[in-house]
Amino acid sequence: MSEVFAEAVGVSRRFTTEPDLAERIAVKLGARDTRRVVHALDGVNLAIRRGEVVGLVGESGCGKSTLGRIIAGMLPPSEGTVRFRGKDRARLRGQEARQARLDTQIIFQDPMSSLNPRKRVVDIIGEAPVAHGLIPRKDKAALVAGLLEKVGLDPSMRDRFPHQFSGGQRQRIGIARALAVNPEFLVCDESIAALDISIQAQVINLFMQLRQDLDLTYLFISHDLSVVHHIADRVVIMYLGRVVESGPTEAIFAAPNHPYTAALLEEVPRIDRRHRSFQPVKGEIPSPINPPSGCHFHPRCPFAMDRCRVERPALIAVGGGQESACHLNDLAERPRFTQTDNREKTA
Amino acid sequence: MLDLRELQTHFFTPAGVVKAVDGVSLTVNRGEIVGLVGESGSGKSITGFSIIGLVDPPGRNVGGQILFNGEDLLGAPERRLRQLRGNRIAMIFQDPMMTLNPVLSIRTHMVETVLAHEKVGRAEALRRSVEALEMVGIPDAARRIESYPHEFSGGMRQRVAIAIALLHRPDLIIADEPTTALDVTIQAQILAQVQKLCRELGMGLIWISHDLGVVAGLADRVAVMYAGKIVEQGPVDEVLDHPRHPYTQGLVNSAPLANERGKPLRQIRGAAPPPLQRPQGCAFRTRCDHATDRCLQEPPESEGVHRWRCFHPRNMEGRA
Repeated sequence: MSEVFAEAVGVSRRFTTEPDLAERIAVKLGARDTRRVVHALDGVNLAIRRGEVVGLVGESGCGKSTLGRIIAGMLPPSEGTVRFRGKDRARLRGQEARQARLDTQIIFQDPMSSLNPRKRVVDIIGEAPVAHGLIPRKDKAALVAGLLEKVGLDPSMRDRFPHQFSGGQRQRIGIARALAVNPEFLVCDESIAALDISIQAQVINLFMQLRQDLDLTYLFISHDLSVVHHIADRVVIMYLGRVVESGPTEAIFAAPNHPYTAALLEEVPRIDRRHRSFQPVKGEIPSPINPPSGCHFHPRCPFAMDRCRVERPALIAVGGGQESACHLNDLAERPRFTQTDNREKTA
Repeated sequence: MLDLRELQTHFFTPAGVVKAVDGVSLTVNRGEIVGLVGESGSGKSITGFSIIGLVDPPGRNVGGQILFNGEDLLGAPERRLRQLRGNRIAMIFQDPMMTLNPVLSIRTHMVETVLAHEKVGRAEALRRSVEALEMVGIPDAARRIESYPHEFSGGMRQRVAIAIALLHRPDLIIADEPTTALDVTIQAQILAQVQKLCRELGMGLIWISHDLGVVAGLADRVAVMYAGKIVEQGPVDEVLDHPRHPYTQGLVNSAPLANERGKPLRQIRGAAPPPLQRPQGCAFRTRCDHATDRCLQEPPESEGVHRWRCFHPRNMEGRA
């Protein structure tokens, strides 16, 4: 197996609401401090190997975007360490820190809000490599033309503004911008969620093509399990700031270990499942401000036991490269999930 | 119950006439769930708005008929439409935060809706509202009805919107992408509820969505829209297993789970044309692998339960 490329070790991240003026005065006068803390990430470990595509899956508020940003070095963790090529990101200085930042690029969900509307495509894509001294300014136009071609856009469009493109084309511009500084590692944060179905397929194909051509490593963040199934080598499933299960994609889709994973797989809308009678997981996704005790999933879990309410399950190896955080694994005989066949259907 | 005939809704903009809905024919029977699928700009939402007469200028219905229980809604006066809207026909929108008034409690929303259409006392209206909330699975409805929209989560707000739509036991509900903004497990809860209610109350439902997977699981029939026209419609199994129109086929084939893992997806090339620059004849022909000169003409809709608009239908082997 290849070396670990990027790694989060015991990473936690808390966001605190900033008190406004009235609240600060109230606290000064002796009122109780009512600042609320969101536990976005709670002791998460994640390792990404060179050349691997890791799919990070979870519902809104589970911390998947926060984890992506921390691994990319955009956000510092509250606790824990982020390593990049074996070195602690927080301790990198000077040239090394700069190189680490250039080597990691993020592609965001909404290309309209991540591209500067007042700049032309040639500047959006070409600015970073010139600023970082990767190429002389006179080569900018040629570089941009090459990148546009690589992501499937007509190089003659380089003097246009972002609003003159369709959603799919804008996402391609976002990808070209990320590629401009020769990164080795791409964090795709819901990069295809906002696109139409026929365009989604095109962008997924582009990601797979680029991986082959440029030897990229991906952290692919998505709520769409069918997309992750298609392109990821390994899947990591998060729930309310914790990893509940991880493992090789095929193993997890064939036999999910955690009840939450099983529920998610059961609910993936797919065109070969017709006239379904839905049997959804009950309950709401709890707020990360005040998550349930023990296993965060226990209020919604059909198999919850007393132990799940008090004790946080550790993420342990369950065979076949799969890891799962569930107390059911300690039972002599664990209950079986009722499950539709999730294995791949070769058309 | 609902019978759209050659419906045309056009928008008269300074840049030209946008034919958002351009000859849509579709029927919905009592207790039937019809999925209306299409990409952004295909006209699926405008079709929904047209049915309940919510198209604002510069948009206008320029042709066709909307027969609802035999009555043509296109010629109907505004007063009659007001009687029907929220009463016999209800609509659910994508984002309930936009459709619920943030300064009114859920109780006000619901009681006012009941009173707008029926002469009942406030106590009776309240009782009916609580009952509707219970029907969509909101726990502790009698207490929660006093809450304001922001106190609910996204999934709960969408349930409230559905409960409001159900207040008068409408014959038809038009649901415009109501679960698109929701998480997978919450989406499944809403789908389960909607499916159950349609069966129990015998309502017709038009489920507008861009997600073929959701429609496959929920609907009895599906209609696929492209560039203002329904290019294919029929029973869900028929359409998804034997798509005739190359566009439907492309959508079905490009779903990740229909492709071998890790292999390139079979994609539809190009992008949907901007509404003012639609190709003449079949609007899909510029992206189609099977297009010929004949496609410069407008393809007529075929006959039968499973219908399509294409001169070169696919999957025809074994058929007459």
